Amino acid sequence: MDAMTLVAIAGPPGSGKTTWLSQFLSDQQHPRFYCCPGLGDVSVDRARIAYRFPWVQLLSEQDFPQALMTLPEQARVYLELGFHLDLTAPILASLPCHRVAIVPPELAASEWHDWADEVIIGSEITLPTSDELPELWRSPLTGRVFDPASLDEIILELTGGAYGSVQRLKGIFELPDGRAFHIDFVEGLSGIEYAELGLPPWLDGRPERFSGIEVLGRNLDKQTIVDTFLAGCLSDSAIAHYQEQYKALAAEEAQMNPEETVSL
Amino acid sequence: MKLAVISCIHGNYEALNAVLSDIDDHKADQIYCLGDLVGYGPHPNAVVEMIRSLDIPTCQGCWDEDIVEGLNACECSYPSQLAEQRGHAAHEWTNNVIHPEVREYLATLPMTLKLDNLCFVHGSPNSQHEYLLPSMDGFAALERVLAVDAEVLFCGHTHVPYVRTLEDVNLSIRVQQPGQEEAIAQTEVPLKQIVNAGSVGEPRHGRPNATYVLYDTETAQITLREVAYDYEKTCADIIEKGLPPIFAWRLARGMEFAERADDPSHVCQR
Repeated sequence: MDAMTLVAIAGPPGSGKTTWLSQFLSDQQHPRFYCCPGLGDVSVDRARIAYRFPWVQLLSEQDFPQALMTLPEQARVYLELGFHLDLTAPILASLPCHRVAIVPPELAASEWHDWADEVIIGSEITLPTSDELPELWRSPLTGRVFDPASLDEIILELTGGAYGSVQRLKGIFELPDGRAFHIDFVEGLSGIEYAELGLPPWLDGRPERFSGIEVLGRNLDKQTIVDTFLAGCLSDSAIAHYQEQYKALAAEEAQMNPEETVSL
Repeated sequence: MKLAVISCIHGNYEALNAVLSDIDDHKADQIYCLGDLVGYGPHPNAVVEMIRSLDIPTCQGCWDEDIVEGLNACECSYPSQLAEQRGHAAHEWTNNVIHPEVREYLATLPMTLKLDNLCFVHGSPNSQHEYLLPSMDGFAALERVLAVDAEVLFCGHTHVPYVRTLEDVNLSIRVQQPGQEEAIAQTEVPLKQIVNAGSVGEPRHGRPNATYVLYDTETAQITLREVAYDYEKTCADIIEKGLPPIFAWRLARGMEFAERADDPSHVCQR
């Protein structure tokens, strides 16, 4: 295995690591692997990559060493290193890999610069003012379906600082019309990005595919965040009511445009 | 005569005091209040006592009605499920602290007040729950003003102040009855206005400042007033009284929930 087979990517939260490596994961001609150690299966990035690039093989932390031994020809493995990992840890230092740091333009020198073989200028994010690591709060939301207007308000309040200072928020959320959205907020960047994931609409009960949220910040009032998200979730009966309406609408559209029928 | 029109105080005593002081500075002869004296804010009894002590003619708002008759507005009144849950929490809190004589007073409030060619309502002449949004269809908006035979219709409820002028209106009415020739009537409607006073105690215009309206009956001049007040005091009282702290956070940013149906002309079916 040469160094270019394994590419390790690191950088501050929100600098654009996942965005940068997405350009390589879109390659369907060669075997592509992705691993984000330290986050287990409850990882928004991991799920988003699985949804966007279904041909990419996701490696768990446990499978990672064995997978490296048995890689197919022309394979490439992308290892995304979260801010919480120590870049000087022996296990990372010993890996034969190409190290890429994604850093904001204003950051001229940092541990990421010292570590990297290649430095890429990423998003113009607000640099952390404290050396103290921010808190990471994350929660799976699989099976939860949100009232869209409530979800908007919650995201607005959360990113506006109502429940603590939020540096980064990313999540995958299910809506009653069966669509799933990726929501991304980075302190210092304007706006909140909502991107539809393009998954088949889920209109049969509570979705069984992964959804979840990760919030990075300081002084987070976690219990109130949980309570507020729960207040925005729809009940079984509301979900069933909406799903029946959307199914009827889809059936009506299919009848009117039989050649453009989309199966649910 | 100079009128001051205030609306949607929502138990915010600090904001009410600041607005009354501003009205005093502008030497208004008479104050009208468009209701929603209670709900969300920490001082519903004090607000009502102040309004009563000044003998201010007041319409009944949707929150005043709910405190009298019980919370029975349908879910369509709220912009989101979250807002509905918070609205219910605010109602329950207010319902528990309200004094019996205050509840009795709220029950006596009329839906509509008139002064010559001016009419005062909370939401619309149809209902305390109906929203006269500036985007409402022109014909429907005109119908609301004509229905009460007014030149100027003052309303609140949306928490965002505005002045809407309805001019150059020609109505053509065709009546066809069996066995009779079609009758056509053309009517030119003189200029009408809808004036929304915004909200004293729960603004939703992106700033914490209270809003109200001054109206000169001689010149028909309308002035939208925005008044700064010690909103941090109200925020502290919200928390101290045990209301949800998020009410304080939103009040400080001028983004309090106003009940808002998806369909602006929707009337709650209860």
